[in-house]
Amino acid sequence: MTDCGCDKAKAELEEYLHRELSPEDFQDITDHLDHCEDCSTEHLVGLTLTMKMQKACKETAPEELRAAILARLENAR
Amino acid sequence: MLGAVLERDTRVTGDLDWALMSTETPAQGDDTTGTETRVERDDTIGTETPDAAAPLQGDELRTLFEEQALPYMDQLYAAAMRMTRNPADAADLVQETFVKAFQAFKQFQQGTNLKAWLYRIQTNTFINTYRKKQRDPFQGSIDELEEWQVGGAESITQSMTTRSAEAEAIDHLPDSDVKEALQAVPEDFRLAVYLADVEGFSYQDIADIMKTPVGTVMSRLHRGRRMLRELLADYARERGIVAAPTSSRSTK
Repeated sequence: MTDCGCDKAKAELEEYLHRELSPEDFQDITDHLDHCEDCSTEHLVGLTLTMKMQKACKETAPEELRAAILARLENAR
Repeated sequence: MLGAVLERDTRVTGDLDWALMSTETPAQGDDTTGTETRVERDDTIGTETPDAAAPLQGDELRTLFEEQALPYMDQLYAAAMRMTRNPADAADLVQETFVKAFQAFKQFQQGTNLKAWLYRIQTNTFINTYRKKQRDPFQGSIDELEEWQVGGAESITQSMTTRSAEAEAIDHLPDSDVKEALQAVPEDFRLAVYLADVEGFSYQDIADIMKTPVGTVMSRLHRGRRMLRELLADYARERGIVAAPTSSRSTK
């Protein structure tokens, strides 16, 4: 197994997180993270940020909005 | 030839061009016949052509729209909250989005990405109407931002212990802090971050939604996330959540 090194890993962590890498690059970074604590903590921050945002941004549309939209669709024909 | 048709449509339908464009984008490669698409597109510029496939009309169309599109209401509302930053404008924006989407629904190509299509309409509506009303100091151009957000690079050079403390701190912050931090990130960056991280759209989808090249999406996303990290680190310090000393942040 050849290590892609910290430079490549750090440069591509965001794309790794967002699943925008080719399968080969994805595997390279995964392998590197497996044994590089420095890069994997950096990745952990990114991952935590994403998960935190997903949780924090949940909203439920107000009932009045649902009713208003249904009414507009009814009239929009 | 197709290009000419599209161009005409764009002029006639104004900000609904996003909706129409989506029929051109094989989001999931699941295409139906090209002829049908073109007939329906002509439809929008007023030449009613009887379609062999008998397109859905009236109640049927509305039922299909309600079944397929309404389930995205909560998500679109959440996005609208992050876009407009207040519940009243968010509700108006979502309502406008659904009305426009319904009007354009005949042109939506079944089997393509409905969620991305709806986000395209909402983002476009937001940019064309609500953003104009919402002038505020954060809405400056990208160039004006360089000064205060570039400092974010230092978080990359933090020591490992500081970084695990950072992850933990982010995890412990209340949701309200995360929303507040997002609100503070300038709009283009905020949108890119929101669409990628919360909605899980691909860079290409975001590029289509925001009408920017993928490279721009990437830089907005990176910088937006960096700003967010900085802001959250500040909040964590203010709340006494993080033990990391401020002074040594960039020393290693």
